[in-house]
Amino acid sequence: MIWAIYFAIASLLAIGIYGVITKKNLMKIFISISIMETGVNLMLIAIGYIPGGTAPIENGDFTTYVDPLPQALVLTAIVIGVSVLALALVMVINYYEKNKTLEYRRLMKW
Amino acid sequence: MRRMAGIVLAALLFACIMYAFTFVKTYDYNSSDYYYTDPIEGGKVNETVTGHYIENTKNETGAINAVTAIVVEYRGFDTLGEVTVLFTASTGVSMLLYSLHQRRKRREANLILKEGSKIVLPFILLTGAYIFIHGHLTPGGGFPGGSVIASGFLLMMVAYPKYFLKESRVSITESVAGMIFVLIGMLGLVFASYFLENFLSLGDVGRLFSAGIIPIIYIAIGFKVGAELSGIMNNLKGVEE
Amino acid sequence: MVIHPVLLIAIPLLFAFLMPLLKRAKAVTIIILLFNTLLAILMFHNVYNNGPLYEIIAFSPPIGIYLYVDNIAALLAVMINLLAFINFLSVEKVEIKFAMLYLLAVASSTGIVITGDIFNMFVFFEIAAVSSYALVAWKRDKEALEGAIKYMVLGSIASVLMLVGIAFLYSEFRSLNIYDIMNRMDEGSVLILLSFAFLLTGIGVEAEIFPLNGWVPDAYQGAAGSIASLLSFGPSKAGIYAIARLLMIFSWQQSYDLALYVGIITLLIGELAAFRQENVKRMLAYSSIGQMGLILISLSMLDSTDYAIIAFFFLLVSHAASKGALFLLSERKGFGSNASKYAGIVSVMSLIGMPPMAGFWGKWYIIMGAMQMEAWWIIAAIVFSSVVEAAYFARYLSTTMQEEEHASIIAAYPPAIMATLTLLLGILPFIYKIATIGGVING
Repeated sequence: MIWAIYFAIASLLAIGIYGVITKKNLMKIFISISIMETGVNLMLIAIGYIPGGTAPIENGDFTTYVDPLPQALVLTAIVIGVSVLALALVMVINYYEKNKTLEYRRLMKW
Repeated sequence: MRRMAGIVLAALLFACIMYAFTFVKTYDYNSSDYYYTDPIEGGKVNETVTGHYIENTKNETGAINAVTAIVVEYRGFDTLGEVTVLFTASTGVSMLLYSLHQRRKRREANLILKEGSKIVLPFILLTGAYIFIHGHLTPGGGFPGGSVIASGFLLMMVAYPKYFLKESRVSITESVAGMIFVLIGMLGLVFASYFLENFLSLGDVGRLFSAGIIPIIYIAIGFKVGAELSGIMNNLKGVEE
Repeated sequence: MVIHPVLLIAIPLLFAFLMPLLKRAKAVTIIILLFNTLLAILMFHNVYNNGPLYEIIAFSPPIGIYLYVDNIAALLAVMINLLAFINFLSVEKVEIKFAMLYLLAVASSTGIVITGDIFNMFVFFEIAAVSSYALVAWKRDKEALEGAIKYMVLGSIASVLMLVGIAFLYSEFRSLNIYDIMNRMDEGSVLILLSFAFLLTGIGVEAEIFPLNGWVPDAYQGAAGSIASLLSFGPSKAGIYAIARLLMIFSWQQSYDLALYVGIITLLIGELAAFRQENVKRMLAYSSIGQMGLILISLSMLDSTDYAIIAFFFLLVSHAASKGALFLLSERKGFGSNASKYAGIVSVMSLIGMPPMAGFWGKWYIIMGAMQMEAWWIIAAIVFSSVVEAAYFARYLSTTMQEEEHASIIAAYPPAIMATLTLLLGILPFIYKIATIGGVING
């Protein structure tokens, strides 16, 4: 079961990096980055999973809990992802105003 | 060419990550195989970090929700940083949109949406406030609560094309809430010994008024996140005429 | 007297939050940066006399987070805050949002240097990155936006890769504290090597190391002079110090070898690309990439020779001060006043590595280290790159010296002060003593 999740994580990261490299439309590039961020958030959760554990809120009957630390880290990572995405969208709006296009071809030029 | 590079890199990343996962062990925080070393004193401690959180959250922080205890107390410094990232992004957004005076024509929404959103708005705000006030007892906390509040304002912006939040009010809320967070941290330096350390009584565990500084910080975060996300949406909507 | 290093981060954050209410952006920022510089100097004095300083935040580590300040970290904190202060004096018209972003970038760079927790380091990297994206786009013209978007895309990929590395590291050790992990690191398993590779790639974007540094020339070209200068002494130097800490955690031969090869490639590619550039800012940016490669080479010798840490220190500080000065000067076509001429010549001499500037001592000690290791090819690469550097900087000086352009006093003096720092660092011998005493992690 856990291998299905590992497979999903690796796929999400691979799809994201493929999208960033091959797409030229800025919106698609930032969507690809969001896909990668989803993958890495899922990865943190998967690493904190303990078989049979429940949510780490202590109210009585349970004895095994999943690792709470990665969940706290994911909370941080999600907020950071949202912030970067908001700034990115604003940059895209500005870029469109200046160039009247969303094509961005300089990304892979070194 | 580009597509080939994409496929090769994606395959490489996929292979690396799957290969690394084969080495990840299942974790049991109660087993004696795991220990940590004290970075200041040196020497082994027969305990895991996770085990410590699960055993001691209640009596060290007074919170029932271990994730909240980690986010606000144990690793509160990360959360200060996280709030700062959001603040930085919202500053950047308002800075970059400042010069664009775009006026787009928007269609008026229909009567049901307009009146319905007026009725629903107080309930959305109340739900958001409930979520961040009860952060130490139930799942949720400042970030989800703030997002719910911002979603209420988003609804208003969708329903009314001319609805704008006052820029100055949003920025004052942001500033005051951020100031409260940092000042509580500094009060920890004054009244207890460390930055962000709890200096209030833990109270009766499980009640609303308990867990020391956690609810106060989470309320500040709730206001701050709500104000920042609403501010970002306000800026993205355009400039007030 | 008790020194709280956390104030170096908390006070700029507090005033950045309060800036919209205070209004007087320039005065407040200057006072905060001056206060921070003094605090960092006091902290360095304390660390130098009493050994490394800890600051626990909320709970004792590894349960909570703590800050760890040793000699080199304290010196870097002094350097970042002092240069940020001098650099800020050159900004003529300060808007409130600019001052907020500037303070956040400086505070987070300081945070990367002094934190003792790897996830906390990631959070500070993100603050530094997000504020730099916004600052690079500050001018809002076409060039600035293109540079900022490129920086943003690569920076976001970097943050994902860094988080992957942190996740694997956590799955192995179940702890995020750098020194806890270091104490328990015994032999190299594949998982740990992979997580090192992910972390190196992720931090390498900020530190301008080879694989993902394509953003550097575009972002520096688009940014205003004072911001290019901030990027070159703030986030990128903090990033290279983070790599130094990483190398100390994963102190095996494979990781040092990896750093050496990456460093040599970065050095050669950066210098050769700089030689081809017409635009001054692009040339300086590529030259920065080359210098970062040189710094990485000095780090890769940490395990083999004692000269490495001195070379690292001199290269880092001299490059920060002299590149900062050159980026400030690059705002105008020519040097104009005598102060600017002095600043330009001293900085260029330091970067090429002519005695008695600080950059000379950096290159001198790195060559001494390579001789001790009998790695002649490293020496050959360094000498070759210095010749290339001398060639393009000679061309740079010959064009800029001729252009006469009048500059205001505000713009002319900050680069001259930075250049004086480089000169003093090369002449005064006491720095040598400081540098030898502090190891990167344990003195």
